[in-house]
Amino acid sequence: MPDQLTDAVILGGNRIPFGKAGGAYADASNQAMLTSTLDGLVARFGLAGERLGEVAAGAVLKHARDFNLTREAVLGSALAATTPAYDLQQACGTGLETVIQVANKIRLGQVDSGVAGGVDSASDAPIAVGEGLRKALLGASRARTPMARAKALAAVRPGDLAPETPRNAEPRTGLSMGEHQALTAREWGITREAQDELAAASHHQLAAAWDAGFFDDLATGFLRLSRDEGLRPETSVDKLAGLSPVFGKGEGATMTAGNSTPLSDGAALVLLGSPQWAAEHRLPALARFVDAEVAAVDYVSGDEGLLMAPAYAVPRLLARQGLTLDDIDRFEIHEAFASTVLATLAAWESEEFCTGRLGLDGPLGTVDRSRLNVHGSSLAAGHPFAATGGRIVATLAKMLHDLGPGSRGLISVCAAGGQGVVAILEGC
Amino acid sequence: MSRVDVDVELLDRTPRVATSFATGVATGLGRPGARGELPGRRLVLPGVRQDLPRLAGFCEVTGGLLADTVPATWLHVLTFPLQVRLMSARDFPFPMLGMVHVGNRMRVHRPVRVSEELTLSTWAEDLAPHRKGSTVDLVGEVRVGEELVWEGRSTYLVRGDTPPGAPRGEVSEAMGDADAGGSPDGAGAAARAAGPGRQVALWRLPADLGRSYARVAGDANPIHLSALSAKAFGFPRAIAHGMWTHARVLAAVQPRLPQRYAVSATFVKPILLPSTVVLRTGGQGLGDLAVTDREGSRRHLSMQVDGPL
Repeated sequence: MPDQLTDAVILGGNRIPFGKAGGAYADASNQAMLTSTLDGLVARFGLAGERLGEVAAGAVLKHARDFNLTREAVLGSALAATTPAYDLQQACGTGLETVIQVANKIRLGQVDSGVAGGVDSASDAPIAVGEGLRKALLGASRARTPMARAKALAAVRPGDLAPETPRNAEPRTGLSMGEHQALTAREWGITREAQDELAAASHHQLAAAWDAGFFDDLATGFLRLSRDEGLRPETSVDKLAGLSPVFGKGEGATMTAGNSTPLSDGAALVLLGSPQWAAEHRLPALARFVDAEVAAVDYVSGDEGLLMAPAYAVPRLLARQGLTLDDIDRFEIHEAFASTVLATLAAWESEEFCTGRLGLDGPLGTVDRSRLNVHGSSLAAGHPFAATGGRIVATLAKMLHDLGPGSRGLISVCAAGGQGVVAILEGC
Repeated sequence: MSRVDVDVELLDRTPRVATSFATGVATGLGRPGARGELPGRRLVLPGVRQDLPRLAGFCEVTGGLLADTVPATWLHVLTFPLQVRLMSARDFPFPMLGMVHVGNRMRVHRPVRVSEELTLSTWAEDLAPHRKGSTVDLVGEVRVGEELVWEGRSTYLVRGDTPPGAPRGEVSEAMGDADAGGSPDGAGAAARAAGPGRQVALWRLPADLGRSYARVAGDANPIHLSALSAKAFGFPRAIAHGMWTHARVLAAVQPRLPQRYAVSATFVKPILLPSTVVLRTGGQGLGDLAVTDREGSRRHLSMQVDGPL
């Protein structure tokens, strides 16, 4: 092992435009989307036949048959079959966590290059048989005689035949993510208007970035989609104001389909390497991976909101790096819901939260909104859970490269299970 | 392969295969056979939008992965209704029911995207003697605008009918040992030769594979659908579509296929369903491929990939 850590640099990325659940990618599996996205990355960077250090990716909604999803994608791609791969899953933090893993291995000198990211399909989600039927089938497969098999199957009741579709709900609370977030939004007094403004800005800024060609070297068209399917350039605060709340109940409910991310399909990957590997392959570095932090909160007892973990992770990361919010040139805060972003910003401005919860002397500070999600985020692009981290890392790395060496970017991604994955990149 | 003097029959929709089959069966008697002439017509179908759910089904049944660029065998499937329409028409010299697909060649000039609108064309040429009768080629082209992106050549054997004046025993060049009739002992040497040596995959083909493939490929020839309907045509059980086997092999080697390539397949012995078969390769790279039974003693398909072109 080297005495000194080497740098890990982000060289670029590739994603497919994100689709709406049941939309353009309704017939595409996770395997198909991830393999195509990987092949697009390989083509963009001329890596056909190359053995990379590793490929790490994951999916949140995953079929049992896809246990080796990422390795299968490598074998189905133009990369050398000798490139190792593994799956990783940390809910919506999956994509960013894979980047952290690969970057850390590069920094330690264990690999010289790698691809990280993820894929998700809400359209092709696995459906499990009900628990009664599953147990009966397992019993029948263990049975040694036809009689025993018949007896095992006879235990099936009509109600057992209803399939179990995956629900977007926390196992311990039974609340959906939106219902959890509605509690947080109310607690922090996040207004409907502020949420709709953030959502409209996300659509307008993402549309402007597509129009300006910003994604030309970050995305590859797939199955008739050349832009994100859920993108609504013509939306406005007025239009969004007309939607009815879908999360939270009764008076004061603020969260609508317009200011919450839709279920989506898509894949995104990032190419990382050591500076030496990048030089050998004549690939310019976009950004340097600086550091990362993961926090978790106790949402089960109601002590903290489900999606508030990044509010804890970011201050810890900034403190470790000796930085403040003012040192950050670009903020990428994943828009699970508009109110998630706004509650996080409000928490950092709150003296009570920052002293009581974070143990700081005063408020962490204010995020300059002109530096926040400047090319849009998940409300407009969509949010195929494990793909979001890869989308954000590649987007931010390119932005920082455009800003110039030394520019800093912060990524914050909230995740199911009360976790938050955050990271800092520095422009090259 | 272009013929300048051909008539063009412009189609405004994909011909229905079932209708063509019915026409072919109803008008099969009394055709001149090898003494007759191939129709000079070229069928052209412009403005073909590819059906994404059907392509996804095709990829699933043939072991491929849905991607933005489509398999070469999918383009064959798109031209198949035109082939059937031409072969069933009254001016085609042979009765369609006796024709056996013994070989297939394709050239992919560039990857074709699923979003591209295609112009398909098909015609017949090269009526040639074969040691078992005659062969005729159904040639296909796929264009995007004017650009030629795919060429296909399906060779069909008509048993026991040799063109007049042709010396018997002269064998058509590409499809020498094709014997789709399924006789267990009368096969040529190639059927017995183990061929390319290394086993690289084992596939278990279910009894209903012919029905699954027929649904996505639109080729509902009764010899593929069930044991009963296959028996009516002299097969002990349903047989796998040769083009399924072809598509399955191409899907298996897809990650290593160049962007531009030529592929040639010979359907040697039919695969009776259900069945377990293996894919064998000649060594490093693509080169020679074969599908045989598990023991390697019976060859079902020989394939050669050449590229990049």
